Amino acid sequence: MRHMRPLNQKAARIDGYVESRTEDVAALQNPPGGNQAQRPHVPMGCALMFTPGWEVDAAGGTAGLCQPVERDIYDCFVSCYWPAQVPDHLNNAPDWNSKCAVATKDWQKLDLVFP
Amino acid sequence: MQRISLLAVLGAAFSAVACAGTLYLPAYPNSVLVFDEGKGQIVDRIPLTTGTPMGIRLSGDHKTIYVTTIDHNGIEVIDVATRKVTNHFELNTPTKQFRMFTGAADPQGKLFYTVTKEITKFPDHFEVGEPKYTLIDLAQQKIVKTVDIPKEEMPNNEGDFGAGQMDVSPDGKYLYQFGEKITILDSSDFKVVDHIDLSRPDAPGMENVHFGGDLDLINEPGEHTALFVSSDPIVHNRVFGLARFDLDTRRMDFSPIGPAPPGMAGIEVTPDKKWAYTVVASGMHGTKRCEFWRFDLTTDRITNRAEVPCRTRFTLGISTNGQKLYIYGAGFDIEVYDAATLKYEKTWDLNNDVTYAGIVVLP
Repeated sequence: MRHMRPLNQKAARIDGYVESRTEDVAALQNPPGGNQAQRPHVPMGCALMFTPGWEVDAAGGTAGLCQPVERDIYDCFVSCYWPAQVPDHLNNAPDWNSKCAVATKDWQKLDLVFP
Repeated sequence: MQRISLLAVLGAAFSAVACAGTLYLPAYPNSVLVFDEGKGQIVDRIPLTTGTPMGIRLSGDHKTIYVTTIDHNGIEVIDVATRKVTNHFELNTPTKQFRMFTGAADPQGKLFYTVTKEITKFPDHFEVGEPKYTLIDLAQQKIVKTVDIPKEEMPNNEGDFGAGQMDVSPDGKYLYQFGEKITILDSSDFKVVDHIDLSRPDAPGMENVHFGGDLDLINEPGEHTALFVSSDPIVHNRVFGLARFDLDTRRMDFSPIGPAPPGMAGIEVTPDKKWAYTVVASGMHGTKRCEFWRFDLTTDRITNRAEVPCRTRFTLGISTNGQKLYIYGAGFDIEVYDAATLKYEKTWDLNNDVTYAGIVVLP
């Protein structure tokens, strides 16, 4: 609840400035504030970070993703880099790719993982 | 001044190697691929017992390869001559993980210096410790010493991508860590002996020097050769070039090449040290554009530029004879370009995804 409201023009400008410094939830590498260009606000839960991104890249598109996406899938898996989107290599699914040397070609050989 | 001394070494030290070499590529899920450049195919596969390779280092005498693996934080020692694993072990215990960052073996191949984070598993949570200097005895196959890292050394050891690269002096007495500065440590107790401040190097007109990755192929025994980027103290114009650090005398030579472009995928130098190559990237995502740049190191001039398709993530490599350029990762193939014309030649299908540990190239 707000207990204070601006009464004169200068106070209104200060209030506006403070408001402008407050943003919605944004990607982790794009903290609120500063003079950074506005970026797409991709819904959280889809991905926490966008380097280069999972479903979308930092620009909200797909041009920045590895193509095809299977090229990148092991590097995302191996260090729990994307622990929600790809099985957890270090703790719960270390053998997920043990029968598949090339994810792009042999993705059918990847093990099934059930949460 | 420094350029003259480095160019003298550049010109005299090596002659072009005509024969094809061998690439050692860490690969998923748990092997090192041995790839023959001449045949253009995998000729051997070194299986790793301890899991997925995440780091690879060549010893100073080029006889041994040290591989670190991530599954259970293991080390595997490969004899280059026989392509066999001669030693392997894991650091993890049922309740402890020791995540390794960087690493270098001593010249005798008995000790392995690294930085580790200890992760302790409790019934309901994990606790992640601070990074520590760590000494591993390769014969005993265990950690024999850990030392707390001083607060002022933390920037070199807790970055997003781990710790600054390490190297050991030829006599084994000192350990060097390359980062925002070069830290010189006593290898017996990890006490900081000295620093070389790269923000104010002992070189006229330079400040804020940053070292890139080590260039194994043109390294001579006892030296660390790498890409550097610096800026001048007045206009703050960014310049890149080659830096050579003598691990014995701690003398540093800089050979500036030219203004640093915004995005540079490392640098590769031919064995005769006359030519250097990089890939320069501009734009991002859909507008990203990449170019090969070819430099004549005898005149420090760009002689060729050519557009090359951008991968989202990739690594630039060079053949052992300096006649081919490689673009590889993420994925299962290596694109081969002619180094003289910068034209695409072919793609080698490894039929195996490689990790981002880097590669070792041997003549």
